[in-house]
Amino acid sequence: MRIIVIFITSLLLMYGDFLFAEFSPFEISGLTVYTVPKLLLMYILLLSIYVNPSISSFIAIVFGILIDVYSGLVYGVHTFGMVAFVFFMHTAFRVFYKDFVAMAFVVLSLTFLYDAYIYIIYGILGLVNMPVFDYLALRSVPSLIVNALLFVLVFVLTLKSSKVRKNFLSKH
Amino acid sequence: MNKLFNRNKMLIILFGIIILILFIGFSMTDRESTTKAEQFTGDTVAASQSIIGAPVQFVSNIFSNFTGLFGASNENEALKTQLEMVPQMYSDIERLEAENEKLRDALEVSSKREYDTINSRVISRSQDQWLNNFTIDKGENDGIQEGMAVMTPEGLAGMVKRVNGNSSFVEMITTNVSQNNLSVEIQHADEAVYGAIDHYDSERGLLVIDNIKNNAKVEAGDEVFTSGLVGDFPEGLIVGEVMEVENDEHGLSQNAYIQLASDPSEIDVVFVLERDPESMGD
Repeated sequence: MRIIVIFITSLLLMYGDFLFAEFSPFEISGLTVYTVPKLLLMYILLLSIYVNPSISSFIAIVFGILIDVYSGLVYGVHTFGMVAFVFFMHTAFRVFYKDFVAMAFVVLSLTFLYDAYIYIIYGILGLVNMPVFDYLALRSVPSLIVNALLFVLVFVLTLKSSKVRKNFLSKH
Repeated sequence: MNKLFNRNKMLIILFGIIILILFIGFSMTDRESTTKAEQFTGDTVAASQSIIGAPVQFVSNIFSNFTGLFGASNENEALKTQLEMVPQMYSDIERLEAENEKLRDALEVSSKREYDTINSRVISRSQDQWLNNFTIDKGENDGIQEGMAVMTPEGLAGMVKRVNGNSSFVEMITTNVSQNNLSVEIQHADEAVYGAIDHYDSERGLLVIDNIKNNAKVEAGDEVFTSGLVGDFPEGLIVGEVMEVENDEHGLSQNAYIQLASDPSEIDVVFVLERDPESMGD
């Protein structure tokens, strides 16, 4: 039951990410500003703490493949990235003190690093040649702000989906 | 025990990196067809996205209709004026087409300009927002094949990279030119200057044609079309307009900077062009 709820939530969050791409980028006084939400990634990272890392890795692989095959030019980037970032989250949380602020900090830092990882891979392959300063000012920081706002929503969704099994068992 | 665990982890990471490199290599090669597994995955995601996206589309249509009401009467008037010229233009086009056909028959050549169009709608954009690639709602079942040119009403936008049953993945021309040079002709007065687009300068948002001979006359404002000489693209598709011409760093040739006619972030409806197979003999 819980895995079904997690799967459907992940699917909706993935489409949430796709939907955002319809409105972004936008122009502010002649500058093109990108806001790239990472709803699915944040959800997967939070699942690794609130549910368990194996389910989180499984969802990362399945949705990584879906995104790569559906909308990716270079295969494997999202699949590998998501699994690696679940691993980083798991490792980071052994080091950090476990509270909400620390968790929010780690998750948001990882969304920031995830976009940087894709930027570096595309940069190496010669597909993107955005200067680093432009990347930070017009893409990375605005995305971080948007993700910080969306984090609350994803956090609530994670808590809800982590409780599904308990509710299900208590009824029977 | 801990050491063994770490070694295992290291092995998994190394293995993952190797797989990633293999996947990158696989996706960067020029493939003639899309595998069944890719088609199935692509179609499943596209279909479920259309269902989930329908209510959002509905609401956004209501909003755009509402905002479209403002200034609609002025727009209507302007369009009516344009419409009055259409019958004359149609008859001119028909006459010229017939004349063209006769001349081609006399010369026994097939036209590189002939193509059929397949209308399509953009159903999603790349969610990482890096390369402006998008997915359209027509696929193999509608006659679309890999390598076909994709146009917006303004000009060339990209080419079909992968074809599923009922959807296709389109790579923007700005991404594609970094891998395959696109052969184009610059129309200066009545002369055509041939060249190939080398890359996309994302900082300036312009395509770059390099190695144009110094004695070739190219100026800002010249229109750029596809040449039809290389690849599956028909001849004469509008690519954009020359914005700037400058000598290269050694002064041996010229570089032209081109503004793309289609706006990558404003693409909703596209036409996929099916080139006349007779003109692709070589």
